Amino acid sequence: MFWRVLRQMLLEGRGRLAVALIALVSGATVSAALLNLEFDAERKFTRELRTLGPNVLVRSAAPVGTAEEAGAVFAPDALEAALAAAGQRAPASGGAEVTAWAPYLYAIVRAGSDTTLVLAGTWLDAVPRLTPWWRVEGSWVADRQNPAVCLVGHQAAARLLVRPGSTLEIHYGSRSASLEVAGVISTGGAEDDQVFVNLAVAQQLAGLPGKISVAQLSVSGTPEEVQAFAPRFGAQLAGLEVRPLRQIAQAEGQLLARVHSLLFWSVGLILVLTALCVLSTTAALAVERRTDVGLMKALGGEMTRIVRLFLAEAGLLGAAGGIIGSVLGTLLSAWVGRRVFGTAVSLRPEVIPLILAVMVAVALVGALPLRLLSHVRPAVVLRGE
Amino acid sequence: MFFRILRESFIRNPARKWLEGASLALGMAIATAALTTALDVSDRMAREFRRLGANLVVTPKSDTLPLEIGGVDYRPVEQGAYLRQDDLGKLRTIFWRLNIVGFSPFLEAPAELDRGPNRFPTRMVGTWAAHAVAEPDGGVFTTGVLSTHPWWKVDGAWFSEGPSAAPESKRTDAALPEIQVVIGASLASRAGIHRGDAFVVHSSGHDVRLLATGILSTGGAEDEAIVAPLGFVQQLTGHPGEYRRMLVSALTTPEDQFGKRDPDTLSPTEYDRWFCTPYISSIAFQIKQALPGAEVRVVRQVAETEGRVLGRLSTLLWLVSIAALLASALVIGSASATTVLERRREIGLMKALGAGRRRIVSIFVAEQFLVALCGGLLGFAAGEGLGYLVGRIVFGTPATGRMVLLPVVLALALAVTLAGSLWPLGRVARLDAAPVLRGE
Repeated sequence: MFWRVLRQMLLEGRGRLAVALIALVSGATVSAALLNLEFDAERKFTRELRTLGPNVLVRSAAPVGTAEEAGAVFAPDALEAALAAAGQRAPASGGAEVTAWAPYLYAIVRAGSDTTLVLAGTWLDAVPRLTPWWRVEGSWVADRQNPAVCLVGHQAAARLLVRPGSTLEIHYGSRSASLEVAGVISTGGAEDDQVFVNLAVAQQLAGLPGKISVAQLSVSGTPEEVQAFAPRFGAQLAGLEVRPLRQIAQAEGQLLARVHSLLFWSVGLILVLTALCVLSTTAALAVERRTDVGLMKALGGEMTRIVRLFLAEAGLLGAAGGIIGSVLGTLLSAWVGRRVFGTAVSLRPEVIPLILAVMVAVALVGALPLRLLSHVRPAVVLRGE
Repeated sequence: MFFRILRESFIRNPARKWLEGASLALGMAIATAALTTALDVSDRMAREFRRLGANLVVTPKSDTLPLEIGGVDYRPVEQGAYLRQDDLGKLRTIFWRLNIVGFSPFLEAPAELDRGPNRFPTRMVGTWAAHAVAEPDGGVFTTGVLSTHPWWKVDGAWFSEGPSAAPESKRTDAALPEIQVVIGASLASRAGIHRGDAFVVHSSGHDVRLLATGILSTGGAEDEAIVAPLGFVQQLTGHPGEYRRMLVSALTTPEDQFGKRDPDTLSPTEYDRWFCTPYISSIAFQIKQALPGAEVRVVRQVAETEGRVLGRLSTLLWLVSIAALLASALVIGSASATTVLERRREIGLMKALGAGRRRIVSIFVAEQFLVALCGGLLGFAAGEGLGYLVGRIVFGTPATGRMVLLPVVLALALAVTLAGSLWPLGRVARLDAAPVLRGE
């Protein structure tokens, strides 16, 4: 009997139920999409901020003096070993992870006829990945072994009167090298005044084979993880200092906290309001059912039974809305993710049961005003008053 | 008659109207709060990005290249050109002056810290902590590393640029009051200097007594240096009123395709538009015009990340707002559809009593109109309140209320309720009175 009545109710009231379903589905869609985005957005923004470049420096623990060559140089063997070990461990341990790094050796050299400038030796092929904001006119260097090419900062290039394709002479003491300018770079930083060559060239020119002045690391992870990474990593490197760049690390932390709290609050707010909105719609539906309640009562239905019937209807409606809504919401968040971040957001399966539960709960709570109809007198209602 | 029916409808079944109004108000509150947040977010996040420090560097056009390694310029003090400090007030006269959050000029000199038997080579960095700059129009702008380098932490106090830092301290006898400085954390721990200690430094041929009012930790090259008032370092190095490098922190709009174009290729109208948009390139251009002999460079590392993150965040919020808006529109539309559908009986009765279709529709439309107006107003007020709250919680300062949104929200409320009720209304009004009244 119960089920027959329920089936009849669902079949007969198709138009009305369809309208209620629209409300539930749209509420569920937005909730599911927002929850999906909220879980993933912080990780996405962390990755965006990694374009700020290296956030950890490794250098000799000896103090930097005012000597011409910046600081003491060191052999990077221990560092390379530690990085290789960390690379193998990283996938399991989670947390901070070195995503890219490059060694640098600096020397003050003479270039061209008589210009003093800073020569930086590094892996030229690693530059575009480690410091993505550099712009180049000409081309990047794809080979870290190539001893005959260099990149020139645009201020230095203007002084030296060189362009991509020109040849540049570099002198250090009695040694000298003749290099082809592959590209002119512009960064807005000190690099604009410098000349970049492959590490081996700088080491040979400066007479410091196998030595570097500093290593720059790009470490991914939350700011706390990066802060914790520095001393842990430094413990494996005797005589070296591992220093997070506070300017980057701290700003990154604060920006992420802001983005997180912004998303959390706006998403939370929209979720609560959407739930309330759906709730008041289902409540309005329930209030409109007075006639049905009156008729059932007139036919001798008990109030508990009638309420059960309507609750079953509301529950089914909520479940249907929740399922359709979470599927649509997942699609919506995938689209938004691609639109905003260029890559799809990872989907969270736990969102679906959550949305389902919320929607059923909202639909049931929305049906509660029916209880208020227990005082309804069938005769009055049926007369249409 | 029309108004009596309307009034009766509101009085006789208040629960129905309340519920419809409530869902409408909630939906419009979502729309208002989401739009308020989305409209404001770029400006506010741009301000947050200033924690990354300066996005513009001002250097003199010089005949030698800076020899900067790890934040330290290894050029001798005698070499290279300098800029005049007197011109700095002009920074507050450019078109986008209010977007200049702060600036700090720097002048450096090598120094040697004298601690009994040990001598520590180091650098003196002259700058402002919080310095009052006179503007040409008579105002005063307080700026310095406190606004451009928010990540610098001082254990103790910043130096004060009191009269003790005045030029007459060129004589170096011990009776003179000590110059207040802050000392870098690594240098302080190596040299055993604590907060409040006095010490002697040899620099540029003078011996000066300094007093460490605080220990500075920056995570950068300044941890190894002594940071002193700019005026004092100028006097010490014999470059009164001059500086060698300045960092400027400015609020900017992310560069779009237009902002990236070379200003020389723009037509006059386009040039005006470029000049009057706070792109970082146009602010750099205006600073260059204000400071003779200066070269202004954009710190691309900061500017590009900022542009990208801001762009993504505001797109995200816009999409979220639009999704929330659509959802609440659908929910409200379906609520009004329900109310109309459930009132078939009433409509049948009206028809039986001789009311025409237009009459019925106009009564219902008027009802929905009233509900939409009240719900929309209520929702707007609630949404503004919520936007205010989110602003307070997230950014510490409330979002600015936008009255522009009021007509938008009201129009939306009307459109949604009417769209939701017109379709079922049309269907119901077409039915014959008799079967409806019989309840079929």
